Parts: sequence; structure tokens; C-alpha cells
Amino acid sequence: MSKRIIRDIPLNRVEGDLEIRVELENNRVVDAWSSGTMFRGFENILVGRGALDGLVITPRVCGICSTTHLMAAAKALDQIAAVELPDNAIRLRNVTLMVEHCQSDVRQSVLMFLPDFSTTFYSAHPLYAEAVKRYAPLAGERCIDVVRQTKTILEIIAILGGQWPHSSFMVPGGVSYVPPLSELNQCRHILKNYRQWYEKTVLGCSLQRWESVQSAADLDAWLGENAAQREGDVGFLLRFAREAGLHTLGQGHGHFLSYGSLELPGDSAVLGNCAGKQLVASGFVAKGGETQAFDQTLVAEHVAASWYADYEGGKHPFEGETVPNATGADGKKYSWSKAPRYAGLPAETGPLAERIVAGDPLFCDLLKRDGANLLTRQLARLTRPATLLPAMETWLAEMAAQPDQPYYAPVPPLKDGRGFGLVEAARGALGHWVEIRDGKIARYQIVTPTAWNGSPRDHAGMRGPWEEALIGTPIADIDNPVEAGHVIRSFDPCLVCTVHVVGADETPLRC
Amino acid sequence: MATTAVICLGNRFVPGDDTGCRVFDCLRGSAIPQDIEIFDGGLCGLDLLRLVEGKNRVVFVDAVAGVTDAGDSVVLSGEQVAAYAGRYGHGAGLPYLLRLLPQVCAAPLPEIMLVGAEGALDEPAVRALAERSMEVAIHGTP
Repeated sequence: MSKRIIRDIPLNRVEGDLEIRVELENNRVVDAWSSGTMFRGFENILVGRGALDGLVITPRVCGICSTTHLMAAAKALDQIAAVELPDNAIRLRNVTLMVEHCQSDVRQSVLMFLPDFSTTFYSAHPLYAEAVKRYAPLAGERCIDVVRQTKTILEIIAILGGQWPHSSFMVPGGVSYVPPLSELNQCRHILKNYRQWYEKTVLGCSLQRWESVQSAADLDAWLGENAAQREGDVGFLLRFAREAGLHTLGQGHGHFLSYGSLELPGDSAVLGNCAGKQLVASGFVAKGGETQAFDQTLVAEHVAASWYADYEGGKHPFEGETVPNATGADGKKYSWSKAPRYAGLPAETGPLAERIVAGDPLFCDLLKRDGANLLTRQLARLTRPATLLPAMETWLAEMAAQPDQPYYAPVPPLKDGRGFGLVEAARGALGHWVEIRDGKIARYQIVTPTAWNGSPRDHAGMRGPWEEALIGTPIADIDNPVEAGHVIRSFDPCLVCTVHVVGADETPLRC
Repeated sequence: MATTAVICLGNRFVPGDDTGCRVFDCLRGSAIPQDIEIFDGGLCGLDLLRLVEGKNRVVFVDAVAGVTDAGDSVVLSGEQVAAYAGRYGHGAGLPYLLRLLPQVCAAPLPEIMLVGAEGALDEPAVRALAERSMEVAIHGTP
């Protein structure tokens, strides 16, 4: 006879402000509820402030994605100002945003995801001893190396932004700082060193070799090709996770969303997607379907299961409300995160979604073969810098070659209006929707990547993406749910900006 | 080049977590010795590493919880703060940085202290905390 139980599972070590409740039947998840446990509220802080204040306030809501919030805030104001950015402003903004991605993707993989492999849960795994040596928290040799190396790339933001931390160098019309040639060359040197380190230790091969991996079969051949590729972080992730069967977990709805990101300057050697307009393609893929053009008017946020004042169905962010309503409401409401939906559907966002929307041959083939599992999701994150580094090098070189070209287009005082800024953050689709009235912010709605991925149920009762991804996950020990942790962590949850603005605690790892 | 850094931590949008930010605002308007730099370190966690390297002495200023009585301030050594470290996450903060510091610092380790305050502070208490932070920055371990 089957046994059903409902339990809150201890996932504090995934993210301090996230609680997961699961229903288990015979030690397998049959239902799940994701709860963001603290109120965010910074949208309400912005209402009534000056039109430009989002440029200063929103980068401070997260210590990790501050440049991404700055970019979204600036783009929304660019739209209201109806200004066309100079090419060098586009390049400089893009490079700084990409720095944040390159740092975050490697840190998340090596400092957050891979350390799970070093827990005693895997003591019988044939690669366990090596996992401990490489990824043990606070001690693993790869963890130490990643901290050492990823600190340097951030210097590019400090140099190009003219200030770090709390940079606010993006303004309507461009950027506020014009880097001299010496500083651009310094950035190129930092980036060159980072690329060499990434190729040697993370990929175990050159970027060109990795780019030639175009299918699941290519990936298998690449893994068996030589010791350097097997021993890199990507190779180790594949070997360990496949042996542990992790490619069978964390499927989800199979719907993918990318807002698109990194507009291309008019005169550049970098080629992109979306008819040459962006490096990272925008679009939506419903399960098993083709990529559809992205239309921001189809974004809506539901609050049926969120602790906000009720309204019928979903509301587009331009009509959005953030009215806290912390009621138990017979258990129907269970999260401070709203539930964003695209065309009425929940959608996964992040590095894997970007690759699927863009039609990346490797990841589309992996999706076709194995589905959207946690290993493929993590592989997309760890290898994303390989898709960014060449464009960063090119744009820095183009800026250095055109030192007299402008970085700013003059903008008159902002008129009243509405604008939106959409970017791909490290964790996926981030949007700021802003309305300026009488020179002040009348409405500011932010929809974060983790709101998409970690959303609660919507008006129709549909689960959010990682709630769905947990379904079917086996949990051997409910007090030490390593398997569920893998699933959630593969989305790289960041509740810091999804639900509130306080750093999480540092609850020690139990297992 | 300044040999001492005072790095104020916290989130100025969250009452109770904004202690370091308020101390930063207080110090920014004060006369500071030439060899001391003041930073608004915000929520930067591990990314503060670059601000620590190359200094002889680093004084962090932040809110603390469960360390002393409400309204009181305390000075902790870097080792004492590091003992609070868990594993890395998006919320990983000063304890994680200080725990890793001996392994990742690209320069000789500076003398490190945390000047912390328990609970929400009124303005006189913020000024007193700023003065205590500067005393520690100038004279070192009390």
C-alpha cells in the first residue's frame, strides 16, 4: 500500500528565503509548493521618487545582479526618452553586463551546484573522493581557484563604470563615463586572462573546440577525446551527474522564455540573433514547439497564490499592483513571489531557455534526447561564458579602435510616459516596467528571473516551473533531500531580489 | 595610497540592516585621516575581496544579530566572524569572505575587525558607532 506524506523540506542551504513543501508517495515527489518567505517591496519604495531614481535604487536590491538591474532600469528610461544610443554606449553597457554573467555562471556552478557532489550522500559514488578534493565547501581546490579568478573580471565593471560597487554609470542616452584607451586595453588584458583560465580549467579546451560541439553525439565524443576535457569542470559535471542519474531529474513544463539581450551596435563584427539585432535571442517555446516571436504584452502576473490583494486572472506589469495581503486564506496563498505567466503559461527562463529559444543545435538535441533535465540546465549555465567571451573581446577592441566616437546621446529632461527595459540576467529574463507621471515614478514593476522560475501557482492552479520540475523526484531521506536540492539549484534561485532585500542566513550544510 | 579601509555593510532600504550604510553616511561628512579610505560595501559579499587586498588594516561596520545586547556595539576579530561561515549561496556575506581570505588573498593578510551593532539604532547611536569605528581604524584592536 502506498504511503503519502506532506512535508516542508529543509532547503535553506539552497536559498535562505525559500521554503519548499512536497507531497511524497513512496519516497517520490507527487506535488510541490514553492514559497518565497519575505516581502520584497522595493517597487513601492520607488513610487513617488524622481524619474531617474531607479538607476540608483534598483542596482542596490541585489549584490550579485546589480549591473543587470541597472541595465533594465536604463533601458526603460531610454524608451521613455525615445533616444537612440551611440554604438560605443551599447558596447560598453553590453560588456559590463556580460562580465556579471561570466562571473556568476562560474561561481554558481563551482561554489553552489558542484559542492553537492562532495556531500556524504554520494560517498559510494566512484568519483566521490575527487568531488571532495575539488568542490568541498570552503576547501575544495576548484572552489578556491574560482574565488581567486572570478574576482579579477569584476574589475572591468569598475574600470568601465568609473565606480564599483554601486555603479550607476548607465543613464538615458548612454553611459556617463568615457574610458580612455589605456583603460580599455587594461580591460582587454583582464578579459584575455579570464578567457585563458576559463578555457584551461572550466572547459578543458579552446572556445573554438567547444563551439564545434553541435549535438549530443558530439558531446559524448568531446568527453572521451582527452584527459583535459574530462578533467575540466564541464567534463566532471557530465561524468559525475550521468553516473548519478541526474540527467533523468528536473524536467519541468518544457516551456522556455527569453526576453533577448545585448543589442548589437550598428557597426560591429559581432553577429547575433533576432535578425541581427541582439546577441541573445528573444522568443518563447511552448513544449515541443517552434520558437515564437516574443511579445512583452503577453506577460502577466498572477497573485491567486501570492500574498497580495486579489485580482482576477493576471495583470500586465504596466497595470500591475503590489499590495501586500498577508493572509493565510485557507492555505491558498503561500508565497511573496507573484506568478508571472507568458500567454497564460508558466515558463522556464535562464541559460537553457536562451539556448533553446535561439535554436542552439547542441541543447536542442539534448532536449530532444533527454528532456529539460537538471544536468542540461546546469551545463547550459556553465558553458554560457563560452558564448559571451568572444563578443566581449570584439566589442572592447572596437571601442579601443574608435576612441573619438560618442558614448552618450544628449537627452532632454524626461517627459511623462511609460517604458520597459528587458534583459537577460544571469538567472534569466528580467524586466522593469516604469511609468513616469508629473516627473515622478508613478508605477515601477519588476519581474525577476526567479519570479518566473520559482513562481507559485497561478489563477488556473498551474504550478510554477520548479514546482513542476520537482514532480517525480525521488527523495531517499526527507531530512536530507539532496535530490530536490539539485533540481532547485539547477535553476540558480535568487530570492534576494525576488521577494526581499536582505541577505540570507548562512545555514550550514547538514549532509 | 590608503593603508586602512573602513568598509560599511548593509542594505539602506531595510531598517535594522542599514546600520553600516548610516555609519558610511556619517563618516562621509567627517574629516578622515589621509591613510584611511571609507567604502559603502553594500551587499557585495565575496566581491569585497578586492577592497581588502593590499590594506594593512580593514574595519568592517555592520549590523549583528545575537552577538550582544540590543543597542550595544561590539568589536569582533576576523577569526571570530569567520567562524560563522556556512557554505556559499546568494546570501553569503562577510563570514564566508573572511573564512576564505587566507586562501584567496593576493597580498599579505590585513588586520581585520568587525565593529558591529545589535538592533536598530537612533542617530546618536549611529554617530557613536561611527566614532568607535574610526578609533578602531586608527588604533587597531582595542
